[in-house]
Amino acid sequence: MCDIIWCKDCDTVNYLDPYYFWNWEGKIKCAGCENVYYIYMIQGHMYKGPDKKAGEKPDILPVYADKPNDGYEQILPGTPGKTRPYNCLPRHIYLGKADMVKFSARGRPVRGWRPQPPSTGVAGSCGFTWDIQKLSPEVWQEYQEKIKKGEVGEW
Amino acid sequence: MKDQRVTRIEDLPGPKSQGELEEMKMPYEEYCRKVFAPGQEKTKPESLKGIRWLSTTMYIFTPHSVANLAELGAECIKVEMPRMGDPMRHTSPFNECYLYPLHDSRPMTGTGLGFTNANSNEYYISMDYHVPEMKEAFYRLVKLSDGLTECYRPGTFDRWKQSYRYLQELNPRFIYVWGGGFGYGPKVFGGSYDILGQAHAGLASVTGFHEDFGGHCTKHSNWCIDWYSGTQITVAILAALYWRRKTGLGTMIEFSQVQAATRCLGYGVPLYGRFGIVRQRWGNWDTQLCVHGIILCGKSDYPDEPNPQLKYEARYAVVSAFNDPDFKELCAIIGRNDLWDQYKTLQDRVRPQAQIAIYKALEDWAADKTRSQVVKTLTDAGLLAMPVMNDKEVYECEHFRQRGTIRWLDDPVFGDLLIQSGYSCGLMSKTPRRVNWLWRPVGADNVKIYHEMLGYPMSKIEEWYEKNLI
Repeated sequence: MCDIIWCKDCDTVNYLDPYYFWNWEGKIKCAGCENVYYIYMIQGHMYKGPDKKAGEKPDILPVYADKPNDGYEQILPGTPGKTRPYNCLPRHIYLGKADMVKFSARGRPVRGWRPQPPSTGVAGSCGFTWDIQKLSPEVWQEYQEKIKKGEVGEW
Repeated sequence: MKDQRVTRIEDLPGPKSQGELEEMKMPYEEYCRKVFAPGQEKTKPESLKGIRWLSTTMYIFTPHSVANLAELGAECIKVEMPRMGDPMRHTSPFNECYLYPLHDSRPMTGTGLGFTNANSNEYYISMDYHVPEMKEAFYRLVKLSDGLTECYRPGTFDRWKQSYRYLQELNPRFIYVWGGGFGYGPKVFGGSYDILGQAHAGLASVTGFHEDFGGHCTKHSNWCIDWYSGTQITVAILAALYWRRKTGLGTMIEFSQVQAATRCLGYGVPLYGRFGIVRQRWGNWDTQLCVHGIILCGKSDYPDEPNPQLKYEARYAVVSAFNDPDFKELCAIIGRNDLWDQYKTLQDRVRPQAQIAIYKALEDWAADKTRSQVVKTLTDAGLLAMPVMNDKEVYECEHFRQRGTIRWLDDPVFGDLLIQSGYSCGLMSKTPRRVNWLWRPVGADNVKIYHEMLGYPMSKIEEWYEKNLI
């Protein structure tokens, strides 16, 4: 068990993070009492801690807590002063921000960026030509400069 | 008197010297280069031109069965849900490899590269075909087409009055394909994914190393059973088209993905039938041949590359030396003649204990060498060895480049794309496969199909579009 702190003083299990790959170092306050614990987790494994740090200021609150020896009393996410809110959002690097590209690996234009101009036809229909010079003149310009610099390859 | 048991090279047909080999080989090479001519596919006819196929499919498995037809020249019409398209469009590696645009109504959404290869050369229309208002358009498409591939749960199209039972009354020549997880039977409502196909067919149980060697049953990283099963559907479609030429009648093809994957089990099933033995995994080694497997070498070919796939993973090589002289040579190269003394016959070598000892000796020998050094040493000695190549090396491989296997496509809508697609499927001298475009935006051909082919007025198309029906 790597992602909880079981506070023996108040017999509360503090759940730290919903992800098993958590990398984090800092201080967490117990949801059941005023204890503050220092932990250092690498890929969800408790590398250091939990060490009690009496009187120090915590960095964050646990995300959820319960008391298994007390009828599983729950302290739900977002309880003021006890737990932090859980927004069901993964960390920013897992949020899938698309990586925009304008040129392929050999330096020629590819429509890997957004937004693109809307289609010209009825009901979303479009033709078979991407007139980059007309639709994206700034990328066309950049492409011409790449050609001049010799950054456009054949393979 | 000649000893009949001795084979002399003079008695064999074919070249007798290196010079003769070159003399005989070159004209054939030239002939092949001329008739296959990679890059000139579009100057040649298309074998399936005149066939029109509908694709109401999703993901890889069933779409691929239609992409095969489209690459061979059939006119294929992909029917997608309005505004959304095939869910596979929204599946991209690392959520960041998209090509834009997807549709006018969603300017910030693209189509992910996961969609690649399964839908090449097709025309894209959108239609919510289970809405009664669109039934007529759907039926008219059926009347004008040779067949359809669909992938909905069994019986769904029947409920919507567009299964084979209904469509053959409209068009008796219609070939109808249902492709999905299980098909009729006790698991009729079970959906399937590639991984499920590999698992349910028993394929994953014989893939990977045995637990004794720290392995687990394994699925292939890519969706190989999707690609494979889709191609099997295409084979069935081509047979059905031939049957229709003879009888004038269509066919229903019902294609269970888990069933298709059982074919890859090879001798596992008859083995069980004969002895009651369940085949076990044997990882990168071979149960019938030794040495014939993949070994780990100690050093990377790219020690300074930042990409871990190059820095750490480019260390594997295939080694094959299973017949007696080759194995003897291999033992001499790695300085382990004792292995040759111990395992002089193939029967000795394929035993598990022998394989463990032999492959360990090989990897010990390779521990201070790079993959390239291992491959060069062995090939110089006349043994078969080959690096396990990665995508970068496949891209740079001269063999693939000369044969046009991997190439850059100037996609008419999306620009410069590196693809294999249809060019990965062998060469045809008269009617080669080709890739004209990788895909098109959702509904990109609505006007072409609804107006130009079916003759609906533009006002009707605009009305449908307003109502979200297309």
